[in-house]
Amino acid sequence: MFSAFLTKRPFLFKLRLFFFSLILVFVLAFLYLKIVPFGRITYERHWPSGLKSGQGFIYDFSPAERLAKDELYPRLIGDPVYFSLFTPRPFNSAVVTIVYRDHLSSSTPLVELGLLRDKVTRRYELKPLDNKILDTLMAAGGWRREGETIFWQANGAYADLNAFQADLDAGQLKDCSSGPNACLAVYNYALTFPYNLPKETTVSPLELKQPLRGAEDFYVYVSNNQLRLDFNFVDLNQDKAPDPITVNLYRGGELVNSQFLPDDNPRPASGISENKSLSLKETNLSPGVYKVEVKITDDVVIKNLKSSVGKLAFINKVWPVSTNGDLKLFTDANYLQAKAFTPASLQTLFFAGQDFSLSVPYEQFTFTSASPAPVKEIKLTKDDVILENNGVFSWSAISLFDPTLKKVDSHFVLTPAIKYIVAAYQPPSENEGWKTAQTEFDLVGAYRENGRYGFLISIPGLRAEDGTGDYLEIKEIKVELTGRTLWQKIKALL
Amino acid sequence: MRRAQLIAREIFYFFTLLTIVSLILEIIWPHIILAHFNLNWLFSLWLLSALFLLSKK
Repeated sequence: MFSAFLTKRPFLFKLRLFFFSLILVFVLAFLYLKIVPFGRITYERHWPSGLKSGQGFIYDFSPAERLAKDELYPRLIGDPVYFSLFTPRPFNSAVVTIVYRDHLSSSTPLVELGLLRDKVTRRYELKPLDNKILDTLMAAGGWRREGETIFWQANGAYADLNAFQADLDAGQLKDCSSGPNACLAVYNYALTFPYNLPKETTVSPLELKQPLRGAEDFYVYVSNNQLRLDFNFVDLNQDKAPDPITVNLYRGGELVNSQFLPDDNPRPASGISENKSLSLKETNLSPGVYKVEVKITDDVVIKNLKSSVGKLAFINKVWPVSTNGDLKLFTDANYLQAKAFTPASLQTLFFAGQDFSLSVPYEQFTFTSASPAPVKEIKLTKDDVILENNGVFSWSAISLFDPTLKKVDSHFVLTPAIKYIVAAYQPPSENEGWKTAQTEFDLVGAYRENGRYGFLISIPGLRAEDGTGDYLEIKEIKVELTGRTLWQKIKALL
Repeated sequence: MRRAQLIAREIFYFFTLLTIVSLILEIIWPHIILAHFNLNWLFSLWLLSALFLLSKK
């Protein structure tokens, strides 16, 4: 029958063969682009956008209110701005190159690119694109570059970074009698050093009765090998997404213990609150600083927390809720960012001896203090206010401790006390006013939903509402992805 | 004339099959085609080929 068709209608046969071949080529081409058999591919997007053949891989910026309208290039006027990258398969690493034009004032010295690591806590891993504080410092001299690392010294006490690291490991730096925390700052660089409490303080076990909403990270200082944390949670069940609870204990970035509580409620948006509890216990810990990560959604409140150790400090953010009466807490940072979550939370708050007005709901205010005091007091008359800074918070001054080094961020001030700065940073190159910055991310473990990785561009201090007219324009985003080849995948399966 | 009609019909069949294959690929692996190519162009070509074929009949 086939041979009869071939001999009787040779033209039709040839025509169909041609069209079938075209379809086969079409399918194979898209399968090639889906599989990426050699494990390397580059996606890019340029502005202004011409006629697009497809939807592309790099999706538009959001939210719209942080972008200027009707501009040739996307103009970022608020912080942060999000975009996503669609990839047809997972990859292991991404080198992101951004070409941009900078019309930013001196109050916004930082441009960073973030990759979404955790959806529940909305945690982004931030990498530098531009740090004008370091650029200024590098222009002034007193620094040396060792590979990707910049090492700055005020007095040239060390010949190189290795000699510096050796002293840091021993816990004592030259020209730095108050300890590394007082005279060393870092940026995008993980320096390890043995942290010791400034003075021996005996702090009794702590019971925190202040409810806190949403994810929290905190440091605990374990001095007697044991740690027990008992949490009571309230799941508000206002959000339709399930609310699992995870509590992780880390030592120097290594996971030591993890406790998980699934959300088995078939009606997670019922509005009926549920009480839950979870405990974490470790009996054979080496003394030192540990980090506790409480991974919960904003639909869950930590109702209370009992800790066997009294040195406990919340990292960067707290969201106190359900307070009876005034609220008093402490921080070590010289600024405080506050956002009233409801109109009922508007108030005059007290920070480091000054009153500040929290006058607009849902808007983040930044209050700066010139107080030299290492510990600053915060007083609130109403709750449901999200408090953030680059330091730590605690509910008593004696509990407060900060084992981290100062960060060269937008709130950094180079004081005479700072003797050393270590940073992993490459300044952007500049051509005809356009800057090109590049950074690399490890995509293993990054959050990917519907084939998309989440990114953000962070310019701390850039606010659309302040009327200063500063902005950043994007001309091009290029992402070079690397992952396993098809052969490596097949090998792994065999 | 008959040959032109035959080619028009085969082109219509080609676009029909290509559209079906594209839709199946998109259902199995979302965005595999849409990221690179706007399927509206393919639908338009398919529609044009169908209209041309009808006009010839």
